[in-house]
Amino acid sequence: MKWWLLVLLAVASSAAAHKESDAYLTLATDASTPKLLHGQFDVALRDIAFVMDVDANHDSALTWGEVKSSRARIERYVLDAITVRGDGLACDIRPTGQAIASHNDGAYDVILFDAVCDKAIPSRVTIDYRLFKDVDPYHRGIITVHAGERVAGAVLGPKTSSAALDLRAIDYWSQFKSFVVDGVWHIWTGPDHLLFILSLLLPAVLYRRTATPTSLVSGVGLQLSGGARWMPVPKLSGAMVELVKVISGFTLSHSLTLTLSVLGYVDLPSRLVESGIALSIIIAALNNVYPSVTRRAWVIAFAFGLIHGLGFASALAGLSLPPAAMATSLGGFTLGVELGQESIVLPFLPLAFLVRRTRFYQTGIVRWGSVAIIAIAGLWLVQRAFDIVVPGAALLTPG
Amino acid sequence: MSPAVNPAAMRASDAKGHRWSFPRVCGSRVATMRRVAGALVLALLCVGSVAAAATRGPYVPSADDVVLEHLPSTSDARVRRFTSLKRIAAAKPGDVAGVVALANSYLDYGRDTGDARYLGRAQAVIAPAMRRRPAPVDVLLVQATILQSRHQFDESRQMLNDILARDRDNMQAWLTLSSVALVQGDLAGAQRACAHLIGSADALVTAGCIGSRATVAGDATTALHLIDTLLAQEPNEPPAIQSWAHGLLADASRYLGKNTRADAEFKRALALAPGDNFLLADYADFLLDRGREREALDLVKAYSQSDTSFLRQVLAESALGLPIARADTAAMASRFSDLEQRGDSRLYGREEARFALHLQHDAARSLRLAQANWRIQRAPEDMRIYLEAALAAGQPAAAQPVVDFVRRTGFEDPIVHALAAQVTRAISMPVTAGRQAP
Repeated sequence: MKWWLLVLLAVASSAAAHKESDAYLTLATDASTPKLLHGQFDVALRDIAFVMDVDANHDSALTWGEVKSSRARIERYVLDAITVRGDGLACDIRPTGQAIASHNDGAYDVILFDAVCDKAIPSRVTIDYRLFKDVDPYHRGIITVHAGERVAGAVLGPKTSSAALDLRAIDYWSQFKSFVVDGVWHIWTGPDHLLFILSLLLPAVLYRRTATPTSLVSGVGLQLSGGARWMPVPKLSGAMVELVKVISGFTLSHSLTLTLSVLGYVDLPSRLVESGIALSIIIAALNNVYPSVTRRAWVIAFAFGLIHGLGFASALAGLSLPPAAMATSLGGFTLGVELGQESIVLPFLPLAFLVRRTRFYQTGIVRWGSVAIIAIAGLWLVQRAFDIVVPGAALLTPG
Repeated sequence: MSPAVNPAAMRASDAKGHRWSFPRVCGSRVATMRRVAGALVLALLCVGSVAAAATRGPYVPSADDVVLEHLPSTSDARVRRFTSLKRIAAAKPGDVAGVVALANSYLDYGRDTGDARYLGRAQAVIAPAMRRRPAPVDVLLVQATILQSRHQFDESRQMLNDILARDRDNMQAWLTLSSVALVQGDLAGAQRACAHLIGSADALVTAGCIGSRATVAGDATTALHLIDTLLAQEPNEPPAIQSWAHGLLADASRYLGKNTRADAEFKRALALAPGDNFLLADYADFLLDRGREREALDLVKAYSQSDTSFLRQVLAESALGLPIARADTAAMASRFSDLEQRGDSRLYGREEARFALHLQHDAARSLRLAQANWRIQRAPEDMRIYLEAALAAGQPAAAQPVVDFVRRTGFEDPIVHALAAQVTRAISMPVTAGRQAP
């Protein structure tokens, strides 16, 4: 048989006669039982018969008796293909009944079930859908979730296999709060951002004075380190002003790139960004050991903040929200990052101010601390830029 | 056992706060409805489609021996064929020939029966082989056929060109390419592709390729002679090929106004391929155009499971003024809303535009659908519905792209020509525009 001749016939001008495979998954909250969702899953009998032997007597006529006696097998297959979850929420799917429904393209088995969750159903639930993933990539799950008066829906298939559905109107305030917390934790648990801030912070209670004042190039702020030495700043307020400038510069620039990146206007490879962050730490710390930029440290902070912002964006990767919710999330996260930074800076400054005159601080902390930072960041740079696994470095690796 | 989800309760809430895309469609339909009764039917229909689109249920059948569904019969040779090929492919998962044979048996069965599920099943069969680099040519061919069947014509064409870059003498690829080109309105591309078949492929198939293009390009006489001659020379062709050739003869005869001949050819083609979904649709359209609605209805009514046949059935019922037409129009609307819900409405743009114009009498919506469809398909049927919708909507200028296209490319469909002339007249006489609708 010349099969290729037959394919020609498929080429007629019209589409196939009826639609491809759909299944209908419906979930509904229960006003009296907050941890429960009632579910109904309509799956075409023709689709079920394609993946398992339900026609017991092989007469091609599928009866209610045959479908009933396959109930356990069908439930296992079909209910294994869905997950109902939420933010910290796990749900157990338990079958509760079987029925039949007629849809436009034939009879469907109706699998009734309860999703029994470990907490009260939150305002947003996520459905993962895997039904017939391996046997029919054009299968679609039509998802509908009813929460009181509200109905949310999605169409899922192999390409888009999960959907997060809002069961209540978005609560901007709690969303803002949760992103503030995210931002704070991102700083506290991200050693690279911490080390960068620390590198800028260490010399904040000191200033450089050259042994030969004539070599000072007035107004430019660049000077050779030869012969210069650290001097304690006379007043806390002066140190404070310098620090505010540095932190503001950093915040300004990282907010800028964070926003651009999350909104999709900037997209750099993460290897480049992560390497850039490591490099920025090295340069900032190196500047403490061999000072070259001793005034206007905020300029360094601003410049390198640009790349750190792209790094923060990775924490929000995949965030895709309506504009108002997006603004809320970004604003909350930025504020959180800021609070995280301040929580380190504010206690550090008075302490450093007290011990700024000591050799312990000037040499032990500023010099050797910076050397240690350079070593750690150097390790990161090698790892990130060249994708090399450095033994023992895992302890120091962020994330 | 009682249903855990109460569909009645769902419907009550659906009517208000849903976020689906179809309420927009439902709303616009309801807004344009003139009769309250009609609006009510549609409103119920729309609400029903939100609540899991069930037309009935959930219910518990009254007895164990109630037959719920007829499955592909094991007494059907085509079913036995894919069942055994499935076993062979499972035994040798990496074997390309086995995979291709199974995928093609699914496509053949799906085409014959009109069950689109087999497209996805064929796609799943070739998925592992498609991940190879480079993917085998035979597997790419199956993929191109699936893409074409799902109206992803540009993607299909791209894949066929990739195949031909690797294998210049792949006759199947040229043949499929000519069909894709034709449905996209690319007469020159179809001709180039057919030319590659000459001398290398089966003579009747080559004649069919050339003939199908010649018919729409205004040379139906040549098509008729060519296919007639080769059909006589090759009496031992498989029935499917003969059926296809007779279908092309019917088409060419129709273009030439030889209605008796066209009628006979359609009947011969259907006798060779009973129940063929495409032939049924074409023949029913032929009958509907000639006021033979009763014959059209008798032809397709046994195939109402097929959306294309069902559309013709409802068109015939409506033209005959049968009371069932109203309920069936609602049923057809529900099928379209199923498609829209799964995101596949573009597959049936041509059919839905016809439905909107002739059964829902919503010319503006029909025009929008025809315009969207025009971006995908440009066969004479697509030109026709676009022109008809523009005239009926009183926006003849909206069909200017079709008029220009016909003029530029040399399509010669008599119905399309008459409509295009009407559109041109209506544009030059804007005052009477809108009253010229057929």
